[in-house]
Amino acid sequence: MSNEIAVPAQQVALVDLLDRVLATGVVITGEITLSIADIDLVYVSLRALLSSVRPGGPEPLPVVRPIGTDEP
Amino acid sequence: MTHLDIDREGAERSLASLVLTVIELIRQLMERQAIRRIDEGDLSDDQIERLGSTLMALDAQMTRLREHFGLAEEDLNLDLGPLGSLLPRR
Repeated sequence: MSNEIAVPAQQVALVDLLDRVLATGVVITGEITLSIADIDLVYVSLRALLSSVRPGGPEPLPVVRPIGTDEP
Repeated sequence: MTHLDIDREGAERSLASLVLTVIELIRQLMERQAIRRIDEGDLSDDQIERLGSTLMALDAQMTRLREHFGLAEEDLNLDLGPLGSLLPRR
C-alpha cells in the first residue's frame, strides 16, 4: 500500500524564480574568516541588497568618475 | 544531461554553449524584469519603445550566435535536477 501523496509537478525554471526574488528584493549576508594554521588572517563581511529598480524604491547610486576626468 | 566534451572538435562548441547559457540566463532575466518595470507604469512610451526594440535586437543576436556555433535552443538550458531547469522549456 503506497501512501505517497500525488503532488502536481510544477516545474519553475530558475530564471523565473530569480525574477520573483528580484521583484521582492533580497538581502544576502555572509561572513568569512580565512585562516591558516589556526591563525585568522583575513576577515570578509558582506551585506548585499539585490532588488529590481522601482519607483519609490532606493535610488541607484550616482556614477562616480575617477579624479582628474572631466564631466562630459 | 549536458556533457562538456573537451576534445579538439567539440571544445569550441562546448565553451560557446557554456558562455551563451550564462548570457541567455541574464538576457531572459532582464526581459522579465523589463516587463515588470513596464507594468509598474512609470516609464514613458519612448522608453518602453527603446526597451522593447533593444530586447528584440538582443534576442535576434542570440539566435545568430547560437546558429553560428550550430547550437539548438535546448542546448542553452541546464537540467538542475530537483531544482528544475535553468530556463523554461518550450
